[in-house]
Amino acid sequence: MSEKTAEASKDELQYVQYQAEKEEQYLPAIRQLISKDLSEPYSIYVYRYFLYQWGDLCYMALDAEGNLIGVVVCKLEPHRSGTYRGYIAMLAVRETHRGKGIATKLVCMAIDAMAERNADEIVLETEVTNTASLKLYERLGFLRSKRLHRYYLNGNTAFRLVLYLKEGTALKRPEGMGQLMDQMDQMDQYGGMGRLCRSLSEGTESL
Amino acid sequence: MAEDRLGHATTCEDHITPIVNHDGTGASQEVRPAEKRLSAGLPLRQAMKPPLAEPKTYDITEKFTKACSALEVGQLVKDEYFTLFESIGALEIMDPKMDSGFLQPGETLEDAYDTLAPILPEELISILDQLLCHEIAWHTGYPLSQTLFTSVYIDKLLWPEPKTFEQAQFYRGEISDDRRPGLLLEVLRAYCLALVKCCDFTIARITSRDYFEEEDFCTHTYNRVLLVQTPMDVFQRELDAAIERLEDHSEMDIEASLRGALIARLKFRKRFLSALDIDFPIDYIRHCWEQVSRKLPTISTTHQLGKVVPESFSFKIQRRLASTVPPRPIVELEFKDAFEKLQQLCIDCDEATRFVDIEPDPLEYQSFLWAFASRTPTPLPYSRAYLASLLFQESSLNIPLIDLRSLVLPCSPVLDPTNWALSPPRNPMLPKPPRLQLALFIDEFVERAGQCYLDLWTALGQNRCRLRRMLTHVVTGWDQLQMDAGIVDEDIMRVVTEMGIREQVLEYPLTTWVYHKKLWMIEKVVLLGFEQDIYLHDEFAGMYLFLSSVTGRRRDLLTTIKAHFDDRKRMFLSQNTPEALTNAQETDDGTRYISSLLHDASGISALSSALSKFYTKLNYLNLLPRPTRPFSTEDLRYELRMKPFLTLTPPEVYPFADFAAQVQPYAPPFFDSPPPSFSEALRTPESWLEIEDSVKRAKEEFSAVKKLGAKAAKSDSVAISWVKDVQGVLASCVALGVAVAGVKAAVEEGEEGRELGIRFEIPGIGIGKRYAEGWVVGKVVKS
Ligand SMILES: CC(C)(COP(=O)(O)OP(=O)(O)OC[C@H]1O[C@@H](n2cnc3c(N)ncnc32)[C@H](O)[C@@H]1OP(=O)(O)O)[C@@H](O)C(=O)NCCC(=O)NCCS
Repeated sequence: MSEKTAEASKDELQYVQYQAEKEEQYLPAIRQLISKDLSEPYSIYVYRYFLYQWGDLCYMALDAEGNLIGVVVCKLEPHRSGTYRGYIAMLAVRETHRGKGIATKLVCMAIDAMAERNADEIVLETEVTNTASLKLYERLGFLRSKRLHRYYLNGNTAFRLVLYLKEGTALKRPEGMGQLMDQMDQMDQYGGMGRLCRSLSEGTESL
Repeated sequence: MAEDRLGHATTCEDHITPIVNHDGTGASQEVRPAEKRLSAGLPLRQAMKPPLAEPKTYDITEKFTKACSALEVGQLVKDEYFTLFESIGALEIMDPKMDSGFLQPGETLEDAYDTLAPILPEELISILDQLLCHEIAWHTGYPLSQTLFTSVYIDKLLWPEPKTFEQAQFYRGEISDDRRPGLLLEVLRAYCLALVKCCDFTIARITSRDYFEEEDFCTHTYNRVLLVQTPMDVFQRELDAAIERLEDHSEMDIEASLRGALIARLKFRKRFLSALDIDFPIDYIRHCWEQVSRKLPTISTTHQLGKVVPESFSFKIQRRLASTVPPRPIVELEFKDAFEKLQQLCIDCDEATRFVDIEPDPLEYQSFLWAFASRTPTPLPYSRAYLASLLFQESSLNIPLIDLRSLVLPCSPVLDPTNWALSPPRNPMLPKPPRLQLALFIDEFVERAGQCYLDLWTALGQNRCRLRRMLTHVVTGWDQLQMDAGIVDEDIMRVVTEMGIREQVLEYPLTTWVYHKKLWMIEKVVLLGFEQDIYLHDEFAGMYLFLSSVTGRRRDLLTTIKAHFDDRKRMFLSQNTPEALTNAQETDDGTRYISSLLHDASGISALSSALSKFYTKLNYLNLLPRPTRPFSTEDLRYELRMKPFLTLTPPEVYPFADFAAQVQPYAPPFFDSPPPSFSEALRTPESWLEIEDSVKRAKEEFSAVKKLGAKAAKSDSVAISWVKDVQGVLASCVALGVAVAGVKAAVEEGEEGRELGIRFEIPGIGIGKRYAEGWVVGKVVKS
């Protein structure tokens, strides 16, 4: 999907993939939109960490004037467990535009992109009280796999949500390692943004 | 943040390694040696260990400038080793939300609060209560930097670090006589010093057990030494002196109620400190928490006498504690909530002290640990660590052996103490006597099983979310153990066959024992999943099906075991010697435990089977929400759900086709309107009868468990909560009966192809709407 092909009538939004060349144009807006729901901002490096490596897994919803209305930020890489794991790191839609399916659309685009690139599974964390987010992901097929006690900096608890895209994902093991890694995989370490994650709905409805 | 985490240990072994952070800060340098403990080989979260080398400084300005000139402005450079972790830990200097050193124009670095200015008694009350709130907030998992260390008084006491105890004052160096702290400030000081020591004890206790840093609890002390070296009696003396001076009316004129309120707080602190003392002699612990509890009511009733002094707590102190994390808000825990948590802490610890008096039987221990972990509200990390340290106190108990005997080897020749009295033949080439061989097999196995047992106990001491996840790892450990048990069993069976006593021994006793425990743990994992809201409503049918199948296996094992116990008893009775009669009696006593387990397993299996069938029907009736799930399929979701159990031997997980055949019996499944085969089946009484029968059976089985009582269930030490649990499950059975009847009636009354006119409501977790949190029974509501 590119900016040109997306249609743009007055009310309608365009859904576009992030482009690294346009960092100056988009990054400040992305940052602003995401940090609106955070108690504590992420440094610029967090955004760059994702966008620099997986900019093509970032999708944005823009209004007719080119204002950023929604964004999803992801990564996709081999996971310690042996799976090729997609991770949805950030998702936000401007408050005035919520409840219209914008986030759903963005997430669908991200999942499609990760599936196309052969992801075994997609995971994310969200606060147990973030009804909108749980509903959105669970409608798409995610299941809750873990409850994470005091996961966020503000002491709130999270669910880990997981979507398998391929058969045999549960039994994957890291290549070239036998029993030992088998055990490693059992280790209950936090992947992804881990406990460092600022709760994405801090400061909003769930408070 | 990153530094925070890097500098931090997860388990006590890690904790005793001296830690140097990147910025030179670190945990308190004086760390007490870890208590002697049995360590569990569990995959706890690993702490990242920073390099220990002394930092060296190089000037790279020139190189850097040169390298930069090769880049375009705005061009991004990222080396392979720059991790997400680091990016999240990064700060932007001069961004006020990230840079804690940033000062707004006109802002001062420190607050101008004078810790030597006289305070009023009512102000003192309020300060003490606020300190208590912060202490409890810290207990619930917030760092000291956002809680106690926001107190200007505590800061002054601890920083700069006092060289001697005497130096720990609200000032340093010389002061003029008119500035000398008066009585009330001295009282505050005594209280604060004892409070700091309480924190020291708390950290020592928690870090001596397995816990998760920052998740359960934060031990970071930001280079402040919590008076580690000062012995306990010094603090008690300070408190006593303060109490004495307050009681002496001549020194200062204070209104009686305020005076009383202050004395009560000091007395509480004294008791609390001594209860927290890690060297508190175990022989005296029985009443120590009760004594703390007794001091609490006065604090609560006099709280409103206080007059707040908000300036005595400052957000700005953080700047000096950790410059590498963004400024974080002071945690505001209301007095009422803090007080409730403190009360609960005392009650939980008091409950934990009962552990020292319970019958030394690992199965009683298991019940006690399970009940403790299931308490609501869930015990704080300190209480859990407190119980764990009592549990893991060196014990001469041969844990697995006693459990083995109770479950599979009643009055068995395999465990005959005389087996251990035999000595091996002098000539090592000669075969050992068979009985000695048995003893050696058992010794070997018991040693091997010990670690698995400790892992289970460790898991039982974790927070509830961790318990569920850790149990799945413990299950894997027991799965391995089961394989090893199989090998030892072969040997045992060979020897007892040679000895001609095979009929006196349960077939494959060790395997049976391990398998039983493993299945029990799997059941707990599933039930905890329901309790933690892990399963979506349309998954209930499948998860209860799995539970019923696992418990069904355990029930079958127990049936065999029960038959063996009965055989043994019959055999002893037939021998008719005094010794045999004693054995018969002993076996009979042991049978009560097996019966209790058997009824319980049968009940669980029946109830979960009923729930599975019922929720299957509700799925077809469209009474449960069913997401469209465009990106997922039934079999992928099944694989994800079964992941923790897929590798177990023997296999516990149904192949997907079998699973689907059971939870989607009326294929093709889940149309907008139920398929015709289902509509027909719905109207046949048999399809309901099956469910109703299971509910009835479950009720009978649980009633039998209840009748046999807590002692038979080896839950004597927690009889009250045990009875409550059994009643909860019984009530769930009743509620299910009602729900089933409601849906059945709606179906019978409704016309085919029409809306049923009912909704089905599933009660959420933790709001007291379930009779048992793991047994989710919804109810019918007319719509
Ligand atoms: C979560 C978020 C991205 C959703 O954006 P959105 O564009 O409104 O989402 P959608 O419209 O695609 O779908 C959200 C679903 O949740 C529902 N929903 C929204 N708010 C809800 C609420 N408070 N309670 C229950 N359901 C709610 C919506 O109705 C919709 O479901 P439906 O289509 O079945 O009606 C948005 O709320 C947001 O930016 N929140 C703050 C940041 C955040 O929480 N991010 C996710 C962290 S992982």
